[in-house]
Amino acid sequence: MAKKITVALAGNPNSGKTTIFNNLTGARQHVGNWPGVTVEKKEGNLKHDGYEINVVDLPGTYSLTAYSLDEVIARNFVVEERPDVVVDIVDASNLERNLYLTTQFMELGVKLVIALNMSDLAEARGQKIDTKKLSEFLGAPVVPTVGHKNKGTDELIKAIVDMADEKLNMNRVTAEYGEEIEEEIRKIEELIQRDTGLMQRYPSRWLALKLLEGDEEVAKKVTGEEI
Amino acid sequence: MIEGRIMPLTMAPPCKEVTLIDVNGGRGIRMRLYSLGLIPGVRLRVLNNNGAGPLMVAVMNLRVALGRGMAHKIMVEA
Amino acid sequence: MERREILDQVRRSSEHLKGIFGGDIETIISEQRYGFISGICKQVVTRPMEERLTTSDKIDRVVINRVLGIPIFLFFMWLMFKFTFTVSETPMGWVEAGQEWLGDTVGGLFPDGSKLKSLIVEGVIGGLGSVIIFVPLIFILFFCIAILEDSGYMARAAFVMDRFMYKIGLHGRSFIPMILGFGCNIAGIMACRTIEQKRDRFTTILVNPFMSCGARLPVYALLIGAFFPEKGGTVLYSIYILGIVMAIIMAKIFRKYLFPGPPSPFVMELPPYRMPTIKGVIIHMWERGVLYLKKAGTIIFAGCVLVWFLSNFPWSPGYSKDYDVLKQKAESDFASGLVTKDTMDETIINLENEQAREKMQRSYMGSLGRIIEPVVKPLGFDWKIGVGLAGGFIAKEIVVGTLGTLYAVGEADEESVPLRERIQNDTWPDGKKIFTPLTAFALMVFALLYIPCVASIAVIYRETNSWKWPLFAAGYTTALAWVVSFMVYQGGKLIGLE
Repeated sequence: MAKKITVALAGNPNSGKTTIFNNLTGARQHVGNWPGVTVEKKEGNLKHDGYEINVVDLPGTYSLTAYSLDEVIARNFVVEERPDVVVDIVDASNLERNLYLTTQFMELGVKLVIALNMSDLAEARGQKIDTKKLSEFLGAPVVPTVGHKNKGTDELIKAIVDMADEKLNMNRVTAEYGEEIEEEIRKIEELIQRDTGLMQRYPSRWLALKLLEGDEEVAKKVTGEEI
Repeated sequence: MIEGRIMPLTMAPPCKEVTLIDVNGGRGIRMRLYSLGLIPGVRLRVLNNNGAGPLMVAVMNLRVALGRGMAHKIMVEA
Repeated sequence: MERREILDQVRRSSEHLKGIFGGDIETIISEQRYGFISGICKQVVTRPMEERLTTSDKIDRVVINRVLGIPIFLFFMWLMFKFTFTVSETPMGWVEAGQEWLGDTVGGLFPDGSKLKSLIVEGVIGGLGSVIIFVPLIFILFFCIAILEDSGYMARAAFVMDRFMYKIGLHGRSFIPMILGFGCNIAGIMACRTIEQKRDRFTTILVNPFMSCGARLPVYALLIGAFFPEKGGTVLYSIYILGIVMAIIMAKIFRKYLFPGPPSPFVMELPPYRMPTIKGVIIHMWERGVLYLKKAGTIIFAGCVLVWFLSNFPWSPGYSKDYDVLKQKAESDFASGLVTKDTMDETIINLENEQAREKMQRSYMGSLGRIIEPVVKPLGFDWKIGVGLAGGFIAKEIVVGTLGTLYAVGEADEESVPLRERIQNDTWPDGKKIFTPLTAFALMVFALLYIPCVASIAVIYRETNSWKWPLFAAGYTTALAWVVSFMVYQGGKLIGLE
């Protein structure tokens, strides 16, 4: 009996996400629409080692705020549909900017796998990235890939499967925002944790943070569920 | 250009590194720019300024095109 | 009630933090995020990328240059269209030949003159042919677009064009759908999805039809071949330019009055240039092409079958002559040696063409044409042209074929000499010629501006999620076409061009 897992593919536009999606799913992909909007949704399948993996290509985004339809779609999919694993495609030659999105996935508390893409380009320019250390700092496995040469695909699939099965012992990490902010987050979180309805649906720290930031979409989710 | 003077990005000297000080815009615009790496404190360089039309800026190893109106709202320091 | 408590605490917390930090929290958090990231990168990356001018930058010095940017862009656009139209000619020829062969072969299985044969050969095979003939053109166009996108050039093109799009009230990203529209308006309208703001997106969708799509070319080719044999290139060029000018004017109007709002911020990443991979390009081309086939193809096909029905029924109207008897006479004349085989063949073909023409005249389509005639007469058109234009509502591909039947030349395409001659010589009941170069031009203008095909209306519905906009698009384009055609025809008459 094949085990089924859903994987969401995320990353900046131009990070090579589409190429990796194609590497993973090959011809077994189909295009539809995200419900209610005219934004393309690509899904594909692959089989590995007894697993049936459904890959969903999220729209390429730089962030997960409420200010852009693409970002809301990506975010909602992760929060509401709860894929088993989120793969964040990170452009190795633009680490700092790309990690901006990664930190937000970390905050969502998802099972994260990082594909360090275009690593050949970075290496050619003399840049060296300590993937082991990076992995520790991010609390997620980091797999170097070269999408357009289809390198690292197998390792990526393995990491996805291991992550889904929780075979990797990774400590969940998240960015810290300094004492004052952390204190307020703690206060809000305490109240959230008393609400089982919310706790079932959303990670408490993320929720607290978003409410504090004044995220309107999230605020709607909280108030909208008032009985 | 006097060092330490603050000016809109549209008036920044070409190819010279400047520091982003602030963005005079609504939250939507600011978050958009932030997600592209354009945050207060970041070093950037104007690579292309044709006097009209958008600007091209190098920031965090990326190239970003900014409409003139938006670039005018970004304050930088030489 | 606990929710209330949470929100109250949130309010208290954010006020407290605003007081401490003086700015808004989102900013602070973003900055802290980058701080966190920066700390990681320092420890993880050795010999970080230097901030220096890359090869891409050097190329950009030229490509988005103030002086060279536009000419380079125009060159690539010209190259793309030249390549597309040239390379697609041969496969298009194959499709035509294939359609003919298939029609003949399958048609041979059925008794002559049967409804079923007509349905299968003209309706179904003809309809399929109308769709498939454009497939090479569409796919090759998408192939070129994929190369431009994957190489990173498209982003630069949007950059270069932004300056002008801004003056219309749109921005750089709007121009790619416009370019696609020159191949197929459906592809262009679908490409508008990348435009974030609704006001820009809807405006671009609504003016896309003025980008003269590939399906209108046969109509122009027919008329230019008949009436502008020398200055053909210039005339064609002027039609395209007119389309662009109308698009600009309407875009400005729509953006100001229908979808008002401040100009949308233009922020875009310019990825480094790279060599597109064959695999990547093929996949992109394939995705878009298949989408076109599914969306447009099915509707156009259905439309063609509908037009077949309307033009062929009533099946046996009362004819002015007894064609069967006349045909038999021709055959018996040959049998008894009065005429040669060639003469008999010619006579029979002429009779059949006339019969087809009469049949269409008396069909629903013909009746429709006669109802339309008063409306198009001020533009210098007669009912036959009215019928052709009505068919064009369904799909522009149909127009020439319909005209062919109406002028009793049997199956015709835009290069058909008999059709050309018939059009040149057709007269009103009073003997005056219907078609003059002026009328022909007015007709081309009408074909350029009026309602895009039914499939594009369907796509507009999909992309705007309402019936309001597709109907508006249909209405305003047709009205505009009428008005401009009118001005061209009557204005031309006034200054003595007739």
